[in-house]
Amino acid sequence: MKVGFVGLGRMGSGMAERILAHGHDLVVYDVVPESTARAAAAGARVASSLADLCAGRDVVITMLAEDAAVHAVALGQGGLRDSLPMGAIHLAMGTYGIGTIRTLVAAHAAAKQTLVAAPVLGRPDLAASGQLGIVSAGPDDAVDRCEPLFEIIGRLTFRAGSEPEAASAIKLANNLVLGCAIQAMGEAFSLVRKYDVEPQVLYDVMTEGLFSAPAYKVYGKIIVEEAYDRAGSTIALNLKDANLIIAAGDIARVPLPSGNTFRDRLLSAIAHGDAAKDVAALALEQARACGLA
Amino acid sequence: MKVGFIGLGKMGQGMTRRILGGGHDLIVYNRTLEKAADLAGAGATIATSIGDACYGRDVVITMVSDDTAVKEVALGRDGVRESLRPGAIHLCMGTHSVAAVQTLAKAHQEASQRMVSAPVLGRPDAAAAGQLGIVAGGPADAVKECEPLFQVLGRRTFEAGTKPEGAAAIKLTNNFVLGAAIEAMAEAFSLVRKYGVMPQIFFDVMTDALFAAPAYKIYGKIMVDESYDKAGFMTLQGLKDLNLVLAAADQARVPMPSANNVRDRLLGAVAHGDGEKDWAVMAREQARACGLE
Repeated sequence: MKVGFVGLGRMGSGMAERILAHGHDLVVYDVVPESTARAAAAGARVASSLADLCAGRDVVITMLAEDAAVHAVALGQGGLRDSLPMGAIHLAMGTYGIGTIRTLVAAHAAAKQTLVAAPVLGRPDLAASGQLGIVSAGPDDAVDRCEPLFEIIGRLTFRAGSEPEAASAIKLANNLVLGCAIQAMGEAFSLVRKYDVEPQVLYDVMTEGLFSAPAYKVYGKIIVEEAYDRAGSTIALNLKDANLIIAAGDIARVPLPSGNTFRDRLLSAIAHGDAAKDVAALALEQARACGLA
Repeated sequence: MKVGFIGLGKMGQGMTRRILGGGHDLIVYNRTLEKAADLAGAGATIATSIGDACYGRDVVITMVSDDTAVKEVALGRDGVRESLRPGAIHLCMGTHSVAAVQTLAKAHQEASQRMVSAPVLGRPDAAAAGQLGIVAGGPADAVKECEPLFQVLGRRTFEAGTKPEGAAAIKLTNNFVLGAAIEAMAEAFSLVRKYGVMPQIFFDVMTDALFAAPAYKIYGKIMVDESYDKAGFMTLQGLKDLNLVLAAADQARVPMPSANNVRDRLLGAVAHGDGEKDWAVMAREQARACGLE
């Protein structure tokens, strides 16, 4: 398959290498030229522009951190919409908002191209080992054509239906559930600390039974150790996601009280200078709110 | 060991049989005597009063449903405090408020008795099988003396420290973390439904990795199936516990925005007549709040 790839950050680099390793013809592009070095060394051709990237491609994957970036890449002059062949697919694998997905769907349809949304679940290590979870949505035939790529990038693909925004909604809802779990742990650890309980004891009780899952073990451990400086996913990045979640609720008329609580705590954490810390630092913000930090 | 047991509900029935099976000398008391009758056949002595159940005992266990009941049993006339010998232990295994546990601990101390708080994690089937999780808090020597009982009742004991209310705080907090997870799922399911996603697909994504734990598998499935009528844990019980959580938070000065969200959601569900349903019915209440029901 002739594949293009835009956005070679920590996630994108691992994914691009998987695609190359399976013998696909890959062209890459990034606005930061240095970030294409790894993919080039692994055998990818580096495009000189987005138009160059798109020429003759069957599928172009975008893996960008923000809605503004995917807007610029897809809809800017000489971008994907202007440059992709008719019938080609824009496979959007970043976590984008509902409004953005709708805009992309309409723009590509007008240019006789197809948008497939396929946000991923997992961190960079899983991207590098091809073990991501993938939530895909778009017209059936287009999703079918992407399947060979999903098989090498991911461990499991969940098909969410024919509307690309459904995949985005699932990814955002999953992030909502995680954000709420971390916020709840923050409140929980503060409460028991006020009753002189060692945080480790609550961690043991919690993760031994009902909550014996990575969400609680990974973030609970960071909270117990107060190891907020080595950030996996930062407070700032989570605020971006929380805003997408609340916006998705706005559009569909879904009040999200826990989602709003999560967002407000993130805002306070940033106000206190913790933007670059791990999202588990929500527990630190909660401790501050009750006079413990 | 000479053991007294007060409160033969669903949990108490299983626990008393485990204690008898461990070869202990057991005398039981229940306000309605019929519930005690079966146990006579299993080898227990039936007490006709609380004082009778306490006389000459090393440890008296209470397993009653709420704060009012435990205060009446422990502090009322001819209750545990008036009847237990000096040095003996009141092992309080129900889920009670921090304030109630503090009151009991003080009253027993004044009577030269000892108090251990050891709320349990698990349903009646786990109680009958001796597979409960036990969170024990109290003076170290008293907790140690209770160990032989914990061994027949539970699969694991978590030591919460020397203050009995610490154990109560952990148990309540764990229930809060569960309530918060249910509320987050409720919000997530209504969000994806509005975008045309089949709830089962979101369930699959959520429970595949980050949330592959009983809390999400059990309660997520009830939401997918909308099987709220077969209540494992009722909305009204959830409301009772969340009120205890918020009371503990008030007392210790811990603002808990997520806990307030959960409580308000439960209150709304009760207002709509769902008090006797499984507390996963929070998902239906959230669906109502966004016009889906």
